[in-house]
Amino acid sequence: MHFDLVINALPFLFKGFGLTLLVSVMGTVVGTVIGVAICALRWTSIPALSRLAALYISYFRGVPLLVQLLVFYNFLPYAGIDLSPIAAAICALGMVGGAYMAELLRGALAAIPKGQVEAGVALGFSPISIGRRLLLPQMLRLATPAMTNELILLVKASSLVSVVGLAEVTRVSQTFAASTLRPMEFYLAAGAFYLVTNLFLAYCGARLERKMARR
Amino acid sequence: MIGLVGRIVSHVPSVALGLSLFSAVLLSSTAAQADTLSKIKAEGSLVVATQMAYPPFDFMENGVYVGVDKDLLDEVGKELGVKMVYQDLPWTSVLSGLDAKKFDFVGAPINATKARAQKYAFTSPIAGSGNAFIKKKDNADIKLPADLSGKKVGVVQASYVQQQVEAYSATLPKPVQVRQYADLNQIYADVANGRLDAGATSLPNVSYAALQRPDALEVVLPIFGVSTYYGFIARKDPEDASFVAAVSGALQKIKADGRLDVIQKKWFGRTEALPADMPEPLL
Amino acid sequence: MDMNTLLSYLPALGRGLWITLVCWLVASVGGVALGLVIALVQRSAAAPLRLLIKFYIEAMRCTPLIVLLFIVYDGGPAVGVLLDPIPAGIVVLIIHGSAYFAEIFRGGFQAVPAGQIEAANSLGMPPLAIVRRVLMPGALTAAMPSLINMVINVCKETALLSIITVGDLTFAVQNMAVETFAAFESLLALALGYWLLIEIFSRLGQRAERRINRHLRLRGATGKGGL
Repeated sequence: MHFDLVINALPFLFKGFGLTLLVSVMGTVVGTVIGVAICALRWTSIPALSRLAALYISYFRGVPLLVQLLVFYNFLPYAGIDLSPIAAAICALGMVGGAYMAELLRGALAAIPKGQVEAGVALGFSPISIGRRLLLPQMLRLATPAMTNELILLVKASSLVSVVGLAEVTRVSQTFAASTLRPMEFYLAAGAFYLVTNLFLAYCGARLERKMARR
Repeated sequence: MIGLVGRIVSHVPSVALGLSLFSAVLLSSTAAQADTLSKIKAEGSLVVATQMAYPPFDFMENGVYVGVDKDLLDEVGKELGVKMVYQDLPWTSVLSGLDAKKFDFVGAPINATKARAQKYAFTSPIAGSGNAFIKKKDNADIKLPADLSGKKVGVVQASYVQQQVEAYSATLPKPVQVRQYADLNQIYADVANGRLDAGATSLPNVSYAALQRPDALEVVLPIFGVSTYYGFIARKDPEDASFVAAVSGALQKIKADGRLDVIQKKWFGRTEALPADMPEPLL
Repeated sequence: MDMNTLLSYLPALGRGLWITLVCWLVASVGGVALGLVIALVQRSAAAPLRLLIKFYIEAMRCTPLIVLLFIVYDGGPAVGVLLDPIPAGIVVLIIHGSAYFAEIFRGGFQAVPAGQIEAANSLGMPPLAIVRRVLMPGALTAAMPSLINMVINVCKETALLSIITVGDLTFAVQNMAVETFAAFESLLALALGYWLLIEIFSRLGQRAERRINRHLRLRGATGKGGL
């Protein structure tokens, strides 16, 4: 195997991986915001909003990511929105991440003792206040380890964003595999990037979980 | 079972709501467009979409985009006085992106067909495009196109050559097993490793591929089917007309003053005379 | 797109759907089987083998599926592995899925009280019988929701096979999209089609779950209402 070709291509691979990390991290941020919003919508008493949130989660968890990206890419211009490939990738990853995050937060919400909410109501806090000051901080704290899972999920998901024209590390390794006729070396290299990153994130997540459990 | 059907049916209103929202978006009129050419000149740059996996026209060498189209379009950019920004997309996103107005110009070599000429505006042709097969070197079973009878042939999905292969296959004793690919490089790789008996694309492409890998690939002559020309495309809307004319004019100037000959010699090793305007496609 | 054009594509779309379903079925069955074997081996293996299995599981869970597909399909010929698209895709889905299924089974095994296993052991039950009659029923009940979830995930993963030229539903619709110049409508229909498919199988999965757990509900030992 000729890994020296991979070494020569490292600057390009790292550039592509930089894009991978950028869209994954930004996607997680956007996904967290969307996830909190969707989770809140699920809990409102307006059935239409609750239904909408359920539909959102159902669509983004039910449709394969590749198809979602293709639809998103083709849909934007009809809605008159012009996004750069990076922005499009971040939005698409954020939307699907938001759906998974909403489910994670729902689990976290269920773990908060109901008594706290009842006490809040008894003390006369408004529902919004209860949500914002009581539930949200606890939800986010309980869900922090889950957010590393989310990040791992999106790092893997970012391997598909080349369909919206973004040259992330998988696409870069694909073009080099084609021009050097050494697919195995380059795809193993790409795999190594993801493996190392995700193993590291998983380790961080496990440590975070242990820290949370000790509190 | 009835309950399941009932539950599905109960979701129909929400699905219908979603669908009608989508169609409302589709049918809503877009804002009035300024003339495309003036928009591009005002921005000073033109976004060109192509699939950078189509040697020798568009491909990546050591991470850098090169090819016949790049050399040609760089010259067009000089003529128009704008900077060319090249975007790499999968083949199936290229035409749909043009329709969706994500970009104004496709810098990939598109085979001119009647259906495409109706829907898109072709600029001045950039190369002749005969259909040819490419096989693994020293494959003695295949000497002429007719030998492809009953063999596995790879084509780029939804391409003109795929139609040509299917039409040609109908004339053969045993039909060709057509395998569709998203990517020309993948076809060459599979011919070289034996997954395919042959690949089919246009003559300039297979000639270049055989030149690059003389130990692995070989062109099967003569060309088959109906030939046409490669051209770049833009939308056929009224506001794009002046833009298309400007690009065609630039290409014609490049042909007339010999710059195209230089590019052809560099990539094909020979020059080829081309008409000034895209002729009416035969198919 | 007019009705006639759509009708003319229905056979091709049907073939694509058929391939999607077949790949899904084979990959799910293979993944569950391999995952179960791995989980069982992990239970009783020596430490080095357990470590190897753990690394295998982590590697599969950390690498994107598309990279695995490229490694096997595009890189394979360089090391003498020349697979056609569908076998390559199914093999990768099975190997990738088995890691997830192994983890799910491991969780299921942990849910079975150790006391039951010890009791069966002290009664002199052979190990295979313990697995079959004590471990598996309890583990399956605990793991069923996650198993169903993962099987549904495998259906979504089959869409990636279109990238290595498997003629599944996604591939067929993309063809139609390019040939008819109606990309947005075709892709939207594809998304809705998958949504419908996944929703149907989710509901069926929930029903299967309820049926399997029927024996727990009928007992009514906790005093909670029955059916």
